[in-house]
Amino acid sequence: MPEVRIIAKNFMDMVASMPAMKLDKLYENGFICEAILRSLPPLGKKYVLQLLHIDVPVAAKLLEEWVLPDGYTKHRVAIDRLVQLRVFVEAVDRKNDKTYKLNPTFQKSLQKLLVHGGTLPREPMPSNITVRLPTLDDLEAYALQQWECFLLQLISSSLVEKPSNISSSLMKVFQRRLLSQRDKEAPKLTESGFQFLLMETNAQLWYIIREYISNSEERGVDAADLISFMLELSFHVIGEAYNINSLTDFQRSIIRDLADLGLVKLQQGRKESWFIPTKLATNLSVSLADSSSRKEGFVVVETNFRVYAYSTSRLHCEILRLFSKVEYQLPNLIVGAITKESLYNAFENGITAEQIISFLQQNAHPRVADRTPTVPENVTDQIRLWESDLNRVEMTEAYYYDEFPSRDVFEGACDTAREWNGLLWEDSKKMHMVVKTGVHTYVREYLRSQK
Amino acid sequence: MPSAPSKLYSDDVSLLVVTLDTNPFFWSTFSFPFSEFLSHVLAFLNSILLLSQLNQVVVIATGCNSCTYLYDSSSDKNHGSTTGSMPSLYSDLLHNLEVFLAGDQQLAKPRVNAAGGGAPPPSLLSGSLSMALCYIQRAFRSGPIHPQPRILCLQGSADGPEQYVAIMNSIFSAQHSTVPIDSCYIGSNNSAFLQQASYITGGIYYRPPHLDGLFQYFSTVFATDLHSRAFLRLPKSVGVDFRASCFCHKQTIDMGYVCSVCLSIFCEHHDKCSTCGSVFGQAQSNVPSSTDRKRKA
Repeated sequence: MPEVRIIAKNFMDMVASMPAMKLDKLYENGFICEAILRSLPPLGKKYVLQLLHIDVPVAAKLLEEWVLPDGYTKHRVAIDRLVQLRVFVEAVDRKNDKTYKLNPTFQKSLQKLLVHGGTLPREPMPSNITVRLPTLDDLEAYALQQWECFLLQLISSSLVEKPSNISSSLMKVFQRRLLSQRDKEAPKLTESGFQFLLMETNAQLWYIIREYISNSEERGVDAADLISFMLELSFHVIGEAYNINSLTDFQRSIIRDLADLGLVKLQQGRKESWFIPTKLATNLSVSLADSSSRKEGFVVVETNFRVYAYSTSRLHCEILRLFSKVEYQLPNLIVGAITKESLYNAFENGITAEQIISFLQQNAHPRVADRTPTVPENVTDQIRLWESDLNRVEMTEAYYYDEFPSRDVFEGACDTAREWNGLLWEDSKKMHMVVKTGVHTYVREYLRSQK
Repeated sequence: MPSAPSKLYSDDVSLLVVTLDTNPFFWSTFSFPFSEFLSHVLAFLNSILLLSQLNQVVVIATGCNSCTYLYDSSSDKNHGSTTGSMPSLYSDLLHNLEVFLAGDQQLAKPRVNAAGGGAPPPSLLSGSLSMALCYIQRAFRSGPIHPQPRILCLQGSADGPEQYVAIMNSIFSAQHSTVPIDSCYIGSNNSAFLQQASYITGGIYYRPPHLDGLFQYFSTVFATDLHSRAFLRLPKSVGVDFRASCFCHKQTIDMGYVCSVCLSIFCEHHDKCSTCGSVFGQAQSNVPSSTDRKRKA
């Protein structure tokens, strides 16, 4: 397994890493509290709800009493997350017991949201001004198309017929970790680049947004403002038009970039112009676990290692090419084969067998999606076997000892190494031995003491 | 009776179907006002929707003559988004509730005149349970991916023994499709029907001792999704009233006659089973034989 992995699980990690002052300011907005709440693990959500109307600190023991022995790790994970996001404030009471209390700002915002409901800072525009609004299906198609176009441009700008308006400097920022470019050569995908392509749309979106936000500080934009605007955007209604004039100058400068990513569609009327949030925008606040496996796939894998992909997208073709040999390409169908060579190619690029298998499973065509297993077992097994073929040799750093003064010393040294569980190999006749690097100091100390 | 096997739930997305007791005969005599009760319930429903974008809430009114769907968070009117439904949850639900109450009263008039008083009529729990199960079946059939359904009965009025058969059938069908029925009973005595329903389907039965902090009970006990229930210690039922109602006079009985063919229950000896038509033998004098008798705890 490669050490470098893209962690695009949630950008709440990013929120968690913000300084306390900024975080408290963010929590003044009810929608951000809602988005944070939804990103929590199930037990965490429950604890927040449970303590919502309790103003005094609650002893940690009291919360633990609710938990069954099986669930203790889940409980810890939930509590850690809550403390990390500063939703729970940890304190120690007079009896030296740990107590938890909801962050007062967070608590107030959430209570208000619960009782009064949330109101967006802007209302959808009346339908007599906005003409020819796209249907929901059109909008989704638009968003996907925009996103694919962006991805293709990201991998290689030569693949796109009409490049989007994203400035090349911004594009460079996105490509920073995904592509590596040596002088005069065409840019090549890095390990994380390959992994990025195999991720599902939401995870990709998060990755890009994260890069966008972390870059914002270099451009002199406050990350907190950006995060709060993104989260607010995710609560707008899909397909409704919102007046651009209701945005601040700062937000208006961002909305163009977001339109290029397919998060919103911009339209111009006779006098006014407006933006329409797409599914990509409203998915921003959804945690990844929910949205996975909730979209239609396109891949059928057969037991003869053939891959049929019912797709017109060039992006899908490019992705399949990462680990299979594409044989035919028909207008709506890509036929490929998973071969040993194609897989070795993929493994060399840092893609793991698990990633390929999970990609095939997540994107299974509806016809095969309800079958278990979705990808034939012989294919998944073979992919894993081919991967483990490459890892037949295991490297361990070690020290080699020889020329022991006496057999006693040699055996003593062997025993010392064995005690520390670090003896790799010994030859008692010739008195040679090999120990793990970690144990070297102990063996050396032993040998010194024998002198 | 065995409790429903606990199923493993992979995520916490829930479909919560709430049956809301609107029996005016109960609420007019109860110490806790309906409006206050409703405000707790609304905040609770709102908090369920708050927890996840994919959560879904359906509210069914249990009147004393009819039942109806009051609110469905997934209906087209709300654009399927939670933002739209936040304010509309309150307005839609209250509007529908008013319409329903008026309609329910209309239906009640002829009956009250005919009966001329007597005991207050019970709520149609059997009706709303069936509607809830129908809705859940539709969710099951909508595709392989659907939220985890559960039913929550908010009941105050006393059991109606004449609904015994219908309610038991609903309970068994819920058990069959592994839908837990949670019940929050606020009336003065425990409800045997709901105790059995929750026990058989693996749900939670709870009678809050103080009604002022109702929201706290809701959020602590009933907001727990099925996924988290595997890790938490939730209220266990202490004692369950397993008494049955007889099929002939709809009375709750401790002891009675059971048809050996179809298991129908009667409070007195009959020559023929009214359900399946089997002919019974002569009862041995006045002491009922042990084969025809069933003792229930």
